[in-house]
Amino acid sequence: MQRQSNAVRIRLPALFADRIDGTSTVEVTATTVADALRALTDRHAELTPLVWTGDSALNPLMILFLNNRQLVRSGLDETVHPGDQLEIIPAIEGG
Amino acid sequence: MLPSNVRILPNGAAGDPQTVFYHRCTIDLARGAVDIRDLPCRNLEEVLGGFGRSFQYLAARDVADAFATENPMVVNTGLLTGSNVMTGLRTYFSAYSPLKVSNTGLPAAMWSAGSGKFGTKLKWAGLDELILENKADHPVIIVIRESDTGPQVELRPADHLLGKYCHEKILTLYAEYPDAHFAAIGPAGEHYNACYYAAIALSTENLLKTGDDKCRWAGRGGMGAVLGSKNVIGIVAEATDRIAKLSPETRALNKEIATGPGSRKFREKTRGGLGGTWANYEPLEQFHMVPQNNFRPTGDGKPALMFRDALEDDFVIKAESCYRCGINCHKNIYERKADGSKGAFRAKFDYEPLNLLSTNAGVHDPDEVWPLVALIDHLGMDSISCGTTINYVLDYNARHPDAPVFNGATFGDADKIRELIEQVGTGQLPDLGQGSKRLSEQLGETAYAMHCKGLELPAYVPDTNPGYPWAIAGGHMSMATYMLVAMEGNTSLDYWVQAITERGLLVVRDDLLGVCKFAGLNAEVAARCLGDEIGLHVTRAELLAAVRRAFIRALWLERKQGYTRDDYTMPAQVFDNPNPAIKAEPFVTREFFAALSDRVWEVFDREIASLPPVEDEATG
Ligand code: SF4
Repeated sequence: MQRQSNAVRIRLPALFADRIDGTSTVEVTATTVADALRALTDRHAELTPLVWTGDSALNPLMILFLNNRQLVRSGLDETVHPGDQLEIIPAIEGG
Repeated sequence: MLPSNVRILPNGAAGDPQTVFYHRCTIDLARGAVDIRDLPCRNLEEVLGGFGRSFQYLAARDVADAFATENPMVVNTGLLTGSNVMTGLRTYFSAYSPLKVSNTGLPAAMWSAGSGKFGTKLKWAGLDELILENKADHPVIIVIRESDTGPQVELRPADHLLGKYCHEKILTLYAEYPDAHFAAIGPAGEHYNACYYAAIALSTENLLKTGDDKCRWAGRGGMGAVLGSKNVIGIVAEATDRIAKLSPETRALNKEIATGPGSRKFREKTRGGLGGTWANYEPLEQFHMVPQNNFRPTGDGKPALMFRDALEDDFVIKAESCYRCGINCHKNIYERKADGSKGAFRAKFDYEPLNLLSTNAGVHDPDEVWPLVALIDHLGMDSISCGTTINYVLDYNARHPDAPVFNGATFGDADKIRELIEQVGTGQLPDLGQGSKRLSEQLGETAYAMHCKGLELPAYVPDTNPGYPWAIAGGHMSMATYMLVAMEGNTSLDYWVQAITERGLLVVRDDLLGVCKFAGLNAEVAARCLGDEIGLHVTRAELLAAVRRAFIRALWLERKQGYTRDDYTMPAQVFDNPNPAIKAEPFVTREFFAALSDRVWEVFDREIASLPPVEDEATG
């Protein structure tokens, strides 16, 4: 993992990490949540279908947490700051 | 460093499994003979444990009948069971299954896993594995106790337990063995010949403390029926708690498990989670993918009646947990008293049992649902197989109002469904107890019997999951393709070949390791944690290769038991009568599935052919 200062940290569950060789944290430079996710999928194109729908909306089955706070869908426009932590979680999982 | 009995010789590593030894006890139930020994591992799968080891034992057997004495039952643990790693509590029960059968009628190898504290106590008592051979001539319990000279094992009469519910058996045993944890069958397992989907209950500290039926379950594949066929009513593992010092690495890992993204789905909303598997209802309903009326969603909005929010007014819902687990995935519902406080315990609501006994059975009143969920647990049955088989009956009766079967129950008849559960769990309805494959063949209507290879489907519609047939031990626990259409919407052949052969199969990893899938460890972290906690240094690639070999060996073992390509198919309704209510392109046509099979088998056949041979076990 390449560490960058001023970075937003995106933490990924196994569904994502296992598709990118076990990388569970990705640091990106971004000003909004949407930017951060775009930076994530630019770097790891394999994750694009999990994050975005065909028409570039956020996958309706993904739930976002910013610094442990669940975002509503419009939260894509929220500003992020260096040191913030973003998580993207699938809404369906069985067991 | 080692919290387990597994002994790793100096310099031992994944590359040299022979330097790793584990403690096995074999009991010949017919003679009461006990043999305990250390065995060297033959490959990394054996080192890791769970079905990676048990299936190699089963592979050496020829078994034509799951209830025959030559069908051994392997009770084992994973390398991380009993360790300090959060959720490291799993026990595995493996045998040839009465339920999972090929079209030739031969039983297939199966495992079922459960949490609770039994596996941990088994390890602390000094065993990694217990093998049950033959059959006792009267009902017994197996008592395993730690001692200065190693584990002591004996058989004791179990007559005083007969007829009791699972949790009542456990509480009776607890009064006799206060330092122990327990595995037990219920009335269903006692009537194994008439209930093939009998399960095994595992005790939790919560159950022992409160007396409520808060067991964890090794439910799938009729492992409780196999245990019952051996006349084993329960297993007691007694040991003092041996909590090893927590290393900084494991402390950090546990914090990550309890608060990180991997378990967020299963944690409580008040702890930053999404509320557990129960919370699958809402997202699946967006796509009309919540099973209704025997896996046939209608789009009428009724699934919303089982959303968790809809129940909050009438019940107190509490998240509770297994031993030392911070995920708290058990969503237990309690009566809400007039003053709003918590009253009596009612049942545990997980998505799969809840759906199969409510929305998928046409029952939408929570007050009618919880007694069904609770009764299945009391009687000791797999709620997935029991629920799905009963849903088949409800469907059959809806289609044949003039010639219904059993008590004529159809969708929404909660009282009659309850009667069916009661009767099948006490051995009175053997036709129902044989599962949906045999029952539907007997009734001559197989198209809407929701099983693959004899194992009933969990609560995810098959219309969106052509990966089901390649699941080796239950549709969602051993092939992680059940949510992909909702999640990614990709229905191309290439995508599905890859989903099944590259990613979906790896979900079985934790069924070797001894941890819960809910811990959400990715493979990199899992490999690191084996090194930190156990001293077994494996790379992510080595770990994944071992998991893959274990999966491929399970497919090979299915073939050994007569499975042919014809067995790997879907309920015909999926092909012939796509459901227009589901908001997804109906892509699982016969043509698509045939092409998918060709491509999937091209990959798996090649790997089956090149599976490394396994030497016979060391003897002496
Ligand atoms: S995740 Fe759930 S089942 Fe697993 S150990 Fe924790 S509380 Fe128990």
